[in-house]
Amino acid sequence: MSASSLLSSSARATTAAESRFRIDYPLAPARAVRVVALDPAAEAMVRLVAELPWDSARFLVAAGTQPAGEGDADGDESDFSVRKLDGSATSLALELFDVDVAVMVATTDSAAAAAATIGAACSKRAIMTAGIVIGNGQTQATVSVLRPFARVLMVSADESDLIALLTAVRA
Amino acid sequence: MLRQEINELLTQTGPGAPMGELFRQYWLPALLAEELPSNDSEPVRVKLLSERLIAVRDSEGRYGLMDEFCAHRGVSLWFGRNEAGGIRCPYHGWKYDVTGQCLEVPSEGKNSTFCANVKLRSYPLVKIGDILWTYMGDPEKTPPLPEYEWVRVPEDQTFTSKRLQESNWLQALEGGIDSSHVSWLHSGALDSDPLFKGAKANKYNLGDLKPFFEVTDSDGGLFIGARRNAEEGQYYWRITPWVMPSFTMVPPRGDHPVHGHFWIPIDDENCWVFTFDYLPVRPLTAVERQAMIDGHGVHSENIPGTYLPVRNKGNDYLMDRDAQRRGITYSGVTGIALQDSSLQESMGPIVDRSKERLVPTDSGIIKARAKLRKAALALRDEGIVPPGVDPAHHRVRSAAVVLPAEESFIDSLSEEMTVRPGVAQASV
Repeated sequence: MSASSLLSSSARATTAAESRFRIDYPLAPARAVRVVALDPAAEAMVRLVAELPWDSARFLVAAGTQPAGEGDADGDESDFSVRKLDGSATSLALELFDVDVAVMVATTDSAAAAAATIGAACSKRAIMTAGIVIGNGQTQATVSVLRPFARVLMVSADESDLIALLTAVRA
Repeated sequence: MLRQEINELLTQTGPGAPMGELFRQYWLPALLAEELPSNDSEPVRVKLLSERLIAVRDSEGRYGLMDEFCAHRGVSLWFGRNEAGGIRCPYHGWKYDVTGQCLEVPSEGKNSTFCANVKLRSYPLVKIGDILWTYMGDPEKTPPLPEYEWVRVPEDQTFTSKRLQESNWLQALEGGIDSSHVSWLHSGALDSDPLFKGAKANKYNLGDLKPFFEVTDSDGGLFIGARRNAEEGQYYWRITPWVMPSFTMVPPRGDHPVHGHFWIPIDDENCWVFTFDYLPVRPLTAVERQAMIDGHGVHSENIPGTYLPVRNKGNDYLMDRDAQRRGITYSGVTGIALQDSSLQESMGPIVDRSKERLVPTDSGIIKARAKLRKAALALRDEGIVPPGVDPAHHRVRSAAVVLPAEESFIDSLSEEMTVRPGVAQASV
């Protein structure tokens, strides 16, 4: 056991008065966050959330939800494309470059194939991945696909959960 | 990260504050029953939700919780004489019953009705299990009594202790729903604590330091599942229920008793931690009960005659650097309860959440805060009764199981996460 001779060098320094002396500085830069809607209903929700002010979050839609672009359930990302909310196409590889956190948003089992591809791509790049599965619909297949990849799965979630998560991680 | 105004919303529980009003919708643990052990016991000062109160048990065994101070000159009734059906202020002899109703004002004339108009604010105090529960809200909206399993099993199957924690209630609660710290902070205890050691599943905790999380709503709050690798093709799941506003259960280990906590605000900078262990289907053994009394498991070793931990911030928690170096304890603090509270108190009485750096694996905490905020505002703005008031929401269990990799705990464990009388806890 060590003896502390000063208030500020002992656990008693946890008083409200002593807490005022904590130094104040930016602890870390904002983290790069990508939010990917995996199906049309998720896209509608993500569009609403994207209108809020964010520091670094970028919002995307899995092209697998479009007839023109098919995701690969085996996790091959090379021919998998995503698009920005303005409709312009971009590649998954480009969008995941230097990203810290990827958040996938799904509402149905139709999102399973896209979830597998994006999840595998994030896993390969050691990107912290979260899955938000909205509502109480048929989502078991999507949840199963997300589970190996998503460090966090929020199930039966709603729009406010996405906002809370992005706010908490300073997206 | 939380904006400062939201942090204040969630951490302030005094009268009139939105979170204070939320807490006042529930039956809450106020004292241990042992604090008023017999009729005409000594009165006990109780501060709850920033209100100074006094608890009494009268000559007929009736319990009461009322304003601590005499209506006459503001003297603390802790100095009072509890006798002959009421508590009498020692200053001028005013006497009150357990409802706070003034019974006598000795200075008044023989036929005076003055005392009939003097009544201290009071709240009901009801014994269920080892706990005296109170409800501090609108009497006309008093909910049904709580039905948590730990206070509803026979007396020989349950044990509750209490300790002071010198921090806001929310940072204490957040420790209770943060399963990922167990493999770090409490790693030394898994193989040595008499209420933890020997469980098969301890090896999963120690073998996988990066759990995955699944969070889902329950009727009363959340279920938070932490998933670790088990044998090939299987996952070890630990399921933590949180019932609003501040009840959590720890997933069990082997045949050890099931434990958990109720975190109760004293004021905005202190809270009571009511800690319990129980078994659904068998009595606690003498060895188990003694271990709890001695402060093992999630209980604390308290200064005799008090609910103040022996290891506290006044003595730097009796920090043992040698034990820390040798890995006997990870933080150098002995005991699971004080390992938690020492770190939570180190944050300061109310941590500034605008400065924190959360990560997605903090999703249980993130979602709990969001639910608390939403419920407090819905109550304030629309009068909506919050989750966790309905006793049906109390009938939850924690669970610890191994499942095939493809199975979801949400789908597979609905029965195990629900109170089933006569059925043991799900544990490995």
